[in-house]
Amino acid sequence: MLKTPRNKISSRVVLTLLIYIFLPLQVSAQEEPTNNTSSNSYPSDSAQAWLVKMSDAVKSLNYSISFILLKPGVDSQPYLWRHGVNEDGIEMEQLNLLNGPGREVVRIGNKVSYFEPNVPPYSLQSSIINGPFPSEIFQRPEKLMQSYEFIMVGRSRISGRSAQQIRIISKDKSRFGFNVWLDQETGLLLKMNMFGHEAQLLEQIQITGLQVTKEPDPFFAKIEPEMLPDVVSFSPSAPLNSLWTIGYIPTGMTIVKRDFRRLSGSGEVVEYIMLSDGLVDVSVYLQKRDGNTSQENLVGTVQSDTLLTIEHGELNITIIGKLPAATANAIAKSVRRNN
Amino acid sequence: MSQKFENLSALVDGEHDALTSSNSNVLDAVKNDADLKLKWVSYHLIRDGLRKELPVNINFDIADKVAQALESEPAILAPKKTWRDLPLVGSVVPFAKQGGQMAIAASVAVAMIIGVQQFNQSDVDQPFNAAPPIPGIQGGLSPVSFDQTRDIPNSSAVEQRRRINAYMTDHKQQLRFKTIQLSNGESVIPDQNIKNEEAQPDIVENTPQ
Repeated sequence: MLKTPRNKISSRVVLTLLIYIFLPLQVSAQEEPTNNTSSNSYPSDSAQAWLVKMSDAVKSLNYSISFILLKPGVDSQPYLWRHGVNEDGIEMEQLNLLNGPGREVVRIGNKVSYFEPNVPPYSLQSSIINGPFPSEIFQRPEKLMQSYEFIMVGRSRISGRSAQQIRIISKDKSRFGFNVWLDQETGLLLKMNMFGHEAQLLEQIQITGLQVTKEPDPFFAKIEPEMLPDVVSFSPSAPLNSLWTIGYIPTGMTIVKRDFRRLSGSGEVVEYIMLSDGLVDVSVYLQKRDGNTSQENLVGTVQSDTLLTIEHGELNITIIGKLPAATANAIAKSVRRNN
Repeated sequence: MSQKFENLSALVDGEHDALTSSNSNVLDAVKNDADLKLKWVSYHLIRDGLRKELPVNINFDIADKVAQALESEPAILAPKKTWRDLPLVGSVVPFAKQGGQMAIAASVAVAMIIGVQQFNQSDVDQPFNAAPPIPGIQGGLSPVSFDQTRDIPNSSAVEQRRRINAYMTDHKQQLRFKTIQLSNGESVIPDQNIKNEEAQPDIVENTPQ
């Protein structure tokens, strides 16, 4: 008879422990009203509206986010990502790889400074940090709508927070899909999966900690903008007279860069073309094949990048990027000589 | 009353036999009178004591006291025999009761774990198990014209490996400098110094020798 209460107590203890175990990692958000100043013309429950909300939140809120980048075959990479807007309305952003010797990127306005081991620090004139996130999902979500369908999937719980899941699928099925989970409250990204055609996961970003604050993180106050390395300037590339044309470019992709480059690794001169749809950047290398550069055709994946290299006509074509091998092959096979 | 006791006393002492008729009267009276019955017992006890004939163990009759105690005892109903009274079950059931709440807690945990697992199953387990942790070229995706024959000269394979590494390095650089329109060829950036700290493609294991 005396045992019953004790049983109840002990089971309650167990339950409480379980609840604590399964409680969110260390996600704590201080209340911050969501920014509603966007020109959000989409219905409030549409995927487009959510993307615009995310974009606004990423650009306007003061937050500190910890996330982990997972790729097949390599160790997980933990990052710290902080963002703030100072009194002058200038965006400040920091991205720090937390494992190993580290890599720190600081952006103040349009100046992005890279601090990396074994390389003198340098700055670039840019409004984004080229990190693990797709380059333009935060900056210009509208652009993605040309190439991708956005599908509202539903709500779930990510990182201990209520999240809205959105599936992003390329319209012509020529690229990998994405699943993103956005914070219900702030619109910030909580999780992002890149998946292949059989829904197998190829790459994952998982936020593990999220703090939204009224004031920018004190870290930004310590930065002295004049101490940052100088911006490396590039002269705009001259118009290119190429002999070659890519016949097939997947829907929504455009050529964002095209030049001749000397590869720093091999010293060979190649024609370089970058295709981008805002989410995925693909490098296409065209190299004229002379007698002794015979090579075998290869396709494979390096981490989450697909690498394809084939002989095509008088060219060796190499394509690297996060896209299915079949698409890479179709692009490579469509290269033809200008008339 | 006293006459009655006197007769009884005489009878016990064996001095009443002269009067046979009254003798039987006394005996009848003793049979019917509770007081006389008690007196009968005590007179005999006294007589035995006086004659030093007391037994070693005086066996007082406690039957009526027990009967009386049973009368005043509250009724205790013996529980019906159920399957719980079977020896094994009887010992298991309390334990099961004890463990019941633990079991609920445990099943909640299991449900959560299963839920979490299912929730993440397609996400985490499959791909990272499916993709073997080998950096470098893998034939994992649909081969385009996958003709990895072994008669390729060694120098050519090395050459190609070097070239692919160069492409990978360049690709990562291009992504890094994406927002910038690079000028032709060599740029102001110390290209040759920028090593990507992320795992470089290592094709040594995968390229046939």
